[in-house]
Amino acid sequence: MIELFDVHKHFKEPVLRGVSLSVPAKGIYALIGPGAAGKSILFKIIAGLVTPERGSVRVNGEEVVGRREREMMDLRRGIGMLFQNYALFDLSVAENIAFPLRRLFDFSEDEIEARVAERLERVALPGFQDRNPASCSGGQKKRIGVARATIARAPIVLYDEPTAGLDPVTSQKIYNLIREEQRAQESTVMVISSDVNGVLSIADRVGMLHKGRLIFDGTVDEARVCPTPEVNQFVHGLTEGPL
Amino acid sequence: MTEAAAQTLDAATDEPPLPKRSALTDMLGELADLWRVTLDTLFYTFNHKREKGAVITQCYAIGNRSLFFMVVTMGFIGAIVVYQIGIQTARIIPDMSLVGATYVKLLIRDLAASVGAMPLATRVGAGIAAEIGSMVVTEQTDALRMSAADPVDYLVVPRFLASVLMGTSILLIGGAVAYFAGMLICNLSFDVNPYVYMNFSMVTSGDCILGFIKCLVYGGTIALVSSQRGLRTFGGSEGVGRATTEAVVGSLFAIITLNLIMSTIGNFLLPA
Repeated sequence: MIELFDVHKHFKEPVLRGVSLSVPAKGIYALIGPGAAGKSILFKIIAGLVTPERGSVRVNGEEVVGRREREMMDLRRGIGMLFQNYALFDLSVAENIAFPLRRLFDFSEDEIEARVAERLERVALPGFQDRNPASCSGGQKKRIGVARATIARAPIVLYDEPTAGLDPVTSQKIYNLIREEQRAQESTVMVISSDVNGVLSIADRVGMLHKGRLIFDGTVDEARVCPTPEVNQFVHGLTEGPL
Repeated sequence: MTEAAAQTLDAATDEPPLPKRSALTDMLGELADLWRVTLDTLFYTFNHKREKGAVITQCYAIGNRSLFFMVVTMGFIGAIVVYQIGIQTARIIPDMSLVGATYVKLLIRDLAASVGAMPLATRVGAGIAAEIGSMVVTEQTDALRMSAADPVDYLVVPRFLASVLMGTSILLIGGAVAYFAGMLICNLSFDVNPYVYMNFSMVTSGDCILGFIKCLVYGGTIALVSSQRGLRTFGGSEGVGRATTEAVVGSLFAIITLNLIMSTIGNFLLPA
């Protein structure tokens, strides 16, 4: 379970303004909102990559805020993350996927190799072990990122824009993959996406951030009939409205 | 909560006030961050195992790839300096016999390291800052941290070790090239016999020790300053460009400041 209480963060301008949120365990929570709403920063705060100025973040009951970098290791063992920009290293595909296993766990080389092969099968990229991510397409990079985010079988997985820049067919395949992975691992999943229809097709709950505030938190059905103008406009993709 | 929140969306009355920052605060913050990166780098240098081949790869990037540039640059610098020394000397005392002896002392004690470190900083510092900065803006450093790999340990330490090792080697090679380029110019322009030029009688062990320490310090400083700037990159490609520029400027400023400090201390501990 992920809980945030009164989280504030600013850089040159305020990015998050008192966000309080509770993400139930073992489900998919979609976080939607227009650009620069603070969605990616919220993920980084949950993962302990960014420290908020104010507020509390609890992941599986443990406080994240205030921990030192070297104390984050235990927490991050339990979190997998797909980054918006892929964040793949200049290593082979296999080395990229195996990276968290090598650093966070003490598996044998055989086990790592087997797990990497299994992940690549799962994301429909068998035999990609020795390729360099630079030679892969955007959709393949996303799938490599999904494989890396899920290889440690972490109980919490954060997907930041898993389908940005992808065609509708590949996008839906990625969403299906996220749903299948969540069911197989019984993990708690949060997904940021600007593709509202796609992400709502797999989400159990949805939250909307706008100008650093959480203006909606509820089920997918509630989101579709929400009277709040910003939510209504964003969910239905209307051109007329306050956004 | 949603409707009420939406209505008060722009009110923003409950956010903490933005802290006021001055240029001095920013500079002190940067220095504190540089100090933190330095301490973390030294900690990881002695306390962690390196990834296989990481230091070798950086040695190639920092050393081998800078060698041609440094040899050519230091060759020209050596030739120009000796030519100017020769012209000025001829005006005062038309005796060129000690030009080689005084030049090699100056070269070993200061010029090879301090002047050589400047082109090295532009070549190596810019590369390090651009590489790490690109990794920051593409979230690769966040991905490293998610895998319990501290970017200082994984990215900075191999570059630091390679820069100390190869930076020192290249500065020594550059010094030798500058010396022999000077010998050529001295012979061609002022008719000084190479045997007369190659006079090491004025060089002391103190000169060699001080020059070598400067090479080591500059090599490490270029890597640390440039890595720190790279890690602080913010924004997209514009941020990487800014970090690269700041890395070169910061490295040059650090080299000049450290030269003043080391030369002053060296004059007391290892007099010329």
